[in-house]
Amino acid sequence: MQNYKNRLFITTFIVVNVFFILIARLVYLQIIRGDEYEKFSLENRVRLLNVSAPRGNIYDRNGKELVTNRASFDVNVFPNEIEDAELLSKNLSEILGVNRVKIEKKIKEAKRLNFYTPINIERDIDRDTLAVLEARRTELKGISIDVNYLRDYKNGKLASLVLGYLGKPDDEDLRKFDELDTEHFVGKTGIERVLQKQLSGEDGSNYKVIDALGREVKINLFKKNITNKDVVEGNDVVLTIDTGIQKVAEEQLGENAGAIVVMNVNTGEILALVSSPSYDPRDFVKGMDRNIWNKILTDKRFPLLDRATQGTYAPGSIFKIVPALAALRENIIDQDTEFYCPGFYKIGRKRFKCWKRGGHGEMDIREAITQSCDVYFYNVGDKLGIEKLSKYSRIFGFGSDTGFILPEKSGVIPDREWKMQNFHNPWYKGETVVTAIGQGYISVTPLQIAVMISSIANGGYIMKPIIIKKIISGDGNVLKENTPVIKSKLPFSDENMKIVRDALVNAVNGRHGTGRNARIKDQLVAGKTGTAQVVSMKTKSEKYKHEDHAWFTSYFPADQPEISVTVLVEHGGTGGSVAAPIAKAIIQEYIKDKNPDTGLVKNGKD
Amino acid sequence: MVKIDRRLLKNFGWTIMILTVAFCAIGLVNLYSASYYSGFSSFKKQFVWMALGFVTMIGVSFLNYNLFNRYALHIYAFSIILLIFVIVLGKEVSGSKSWISLGPITLQPSEFVKISLILVISRFYHNDFEDGPFGIRDLLKPIGFTAVLFILVLIQPDLGTSIMIILISGSMFLFMGVKRNSLLIVIISLIVVAFPAWNFFLKGYQKDRILTFVDPSVDPLGTGYNSIQSQIAIGSGKLTGKGFMSGSQTQLRFIPAQKTDFAFSVLGEEWGFIGSTSTLLLYFLLIIYILDTASSAKDKFSMLTSFGIAALFFWHALINIGMVLGILPVIGIPLLLFSYGGSSVLTSFIAIGIVIGIKMRQKPVPKEKISL
Repeated sequence: MQNYKNRLFITTFIVVNVFFILIARLVYLQIIRGDEYEKFSLENRVRLLNVSAPRGNIYDRNGKELVTNRASFDVNVFPNEIEDAELLSKNLSEILGVNRVKIEKKIKEAKRLNFYTPINIERDIDRDTLAVLEARRTELKGISIDVNYLRDYKNGKLASLVLGYLGKPDDEDLRKFDELDTEHFVGKTGIERVLQKQLSGEDGSNYKVIDALGREVKINLFKKNITNKDVVEGNDVVLTIDTGIQKVAEEQLGENAGAIVVMNVNTGEILALVSSPSYDPRDFVKGMDRNIWNKILTDKRFPLLDRATQGTYAPGSIFKIVPALAALRENIIDQDTEFYCPGFYKIGRKRFKCWKRGGHGEMDIREAITQSCDVYFYNVGDKLGIEKLSKYSRIFGFGSDTGFILPEKSGVIPDREWKMQNFHNPWYKGETVVTAIGQGYISVTPLQIAVMISSIANGGYIMKPIIIKKIISGDGNVLKENTPVIKSKLPFSDENMKIVRDALVNAVNGRHGTGRNARIKDQLVAGKTGTAQVVSMKTKSEKYKHEDHAWFTSYFPADQPEISVTVLVEHGGTGGSVAAPIAKAIIQEYIKDKNPDTGLVKNGKD
Repeated sequence: MVKIDRRLLKNFGWTIMILTVAFCAIGLVNLYSASYYSGFSSFKKQFVWMALGFVTMIGVSFLNYNLFNRYALHIYAFSIILLIFVIVLGKEVSGSKSWISLGPITLQPSEFVKISLILVISRFYHNDFEDGPFGIRDLLKPIGFTAVLFILVLIQPDLGTSIMIILISGSMFLFMGVKRNSLLIVIISLIVVAFPAWNFFLKGYQKDRILTFVDPSVDPLGTGYNSIQSQIAIGSGKLTGKGFMSGSQTQLRFIPAQKTDFAFSVLGEEWGFIGSTSTLLLYFLLIIYILDTASSAKDKFSMLTSFGIAALFFWHALINIGMVLGILPVIGIPLLLFSYGGSSVLTSFIAIGIVIGIKMRQKPVPKEKISL
């Protein structure tokens, strides 16, 4: 047994050492770091705090800020730390100017629901209030002031329908975006909506050690920084919008209802997308104000409708470009074919009038476009027939979506089938000729017109309209860069395209041109006017609704086209008198932008 | 059958009994404080268990340890039956089927089986071999005994106790001597076994605990929370403690499982360095006393049984206090005689009863007394 005695001696030695280590650890914890741990135990409140991710900024094509964030100081309370709910409500009510009973109710509700989750009392308090709150912190046990982000619209109403606004998520939003919770705002419309996932980023969570008064304690309780989840900033979005052009376009449209689309004809990039009337997104920043919201909803001019993409209108005479090219390709006419315009066109016993009562006399295709002769196109339409007319319309993209990222309408290209389905009636010849001058059942969006005119300008390419140039991550990496997308190529010969383009130049610059109001000295603008009759409006109660819609679509420069400008003014009158000058002003702005020497410096360090 | 030899009273282990009682008293005072805000039912239960344990201890001490030798296999077999019973019909508490419910009381058989393991291994060495060191082939039987218990406890699952089982029998093997090659093979195969164990047997929370031990700041509010709060409690006790029933960590319930696994942090917070060190010393003395009993043993069985019981107390103390002090991973095992829990209290008293029984049969009975 002596053998074992030695082993037991060794065992005892091990036991002694182990207890020595344990006691050494006690010395370390209780004697050496005792004071520190005493502090921890006093300040022992660890909280899980949500750290809001800043939403991505939205910039214009030149890097100018359109939408950014600003800090909002929010007052929250932690139900578990409130000692005297009544007193706290009273004090908070004094400082914030919020109803005391309301605060008390909120606290009670929160205590009942979830003891440890903070509830919001007031958002976006001003700096003075913040100072008072901080000064009286000791009387306000249980509150915390958190920084959140609110949208900041640098240019006010500018492009508000494109940018969209944020709001509290509804059931549909919550279903659509799984990371979303009811505390976060979500993009409701526009870019904010379609790029919600890109812009929103991901919230982080932060474990903070907080003392009894709710102040964050800056003691290193844990070995590492205890941020459990880093904030992922939202991605920034660079739009193709040019703030300068957008601004001028909006100013030009003014109080009129209408839409403007400015597009780069070669890339499909949208430089300006205007719809009027619109709303001020700053009204929605803190959530919907019921009064403002009701006013917007009941406004008969629908300020929430983006007319450029979702308004459908008869295109009027600007549509004549389509039957012109169709007839040339189908060899129904050539560049020398002439029709006589006596001021009307007869089908059976029915007379279809030209806008010029006295008639235009002999017209060839160039003159017919230049002077917008209706009778010429009655002839063309009659000879083409509705099948071919609708076929070529669809080639230009009418009747279907353009592929734009924002919600759009596809409009109507009528034909026999369509009429049978919708009216249960056969198609009449007279309806064909009316369609040929862009009246009747046909309806298009300003964006579709912009795509059409751009295809004329760029040599026959139907471009997908693009409004997002780039998406850039918070740390500056380009995540996505949109490049031009050619949707299709028009089937027309260069000669025929040239005939139409010459006519469009003439329409603005010729002596008899209908678009002379868009003429710019020393520059060559090409364009086409349109005046869409408003005849079938169901509500005729309001007088202004009887007035025609004014259209003008154009591109510039005529010889080496860069941009197209499409203007629609609802109930504005004739295209030549109302819409053409607006397009002119926009093109002038574009020229000024491009050649800073000839005009004001636009992109300088102002 | 069992004759109580009055002469043995002369040699009764008064020292260890006093140590045990003192230790229990400290544990009770501590439990009183820990349960102040949640009601005293656990305190009362613990008191009853300790009284019951005390009586059991006295009873066990009067049994000749040779009986344990003789019936070691029976006791072991009974343990296996209990464990199987628990797995099939046991009561599930927080994810583990470790308890048998007998009316108002619940028992945790995995606590008791540790003693049966010590007995069966001691018996093995006592009967089958003269001297070490032993190879694996020599030790197949005791390794089998250990493995069966280990697996039965592990699938409850009770990770803490199954680790204890390995540590206790491992200590006994090492103490009796193991061939160097065999030791190497065991270590290597343990490592090999550890991988599938990690992947298939350990539950998520157990993995978390081990991972958190490696780096507690991984999850300061989750698994690491326990360890950090316990350290704050003990550290803030400083030299003299915050005083009975006035530890903020305890009373505001920042300390997790403060009646059971983390009972020692309550002591550290309220009684400070002085209180916790004295208690540690008591524990130390208890183990030394048991080792001393082993040292003066007259036969291999009693020597090894005493050693096994010392290992039982030693490992419980090291793992539990190490965990509480933040130097070992959070493995749920109680501090024997101190943590709340009837089964562990009863087990400790039985173990000490065995030691007392061995001790008082060691010294030769004075001659003049024999002649009387």
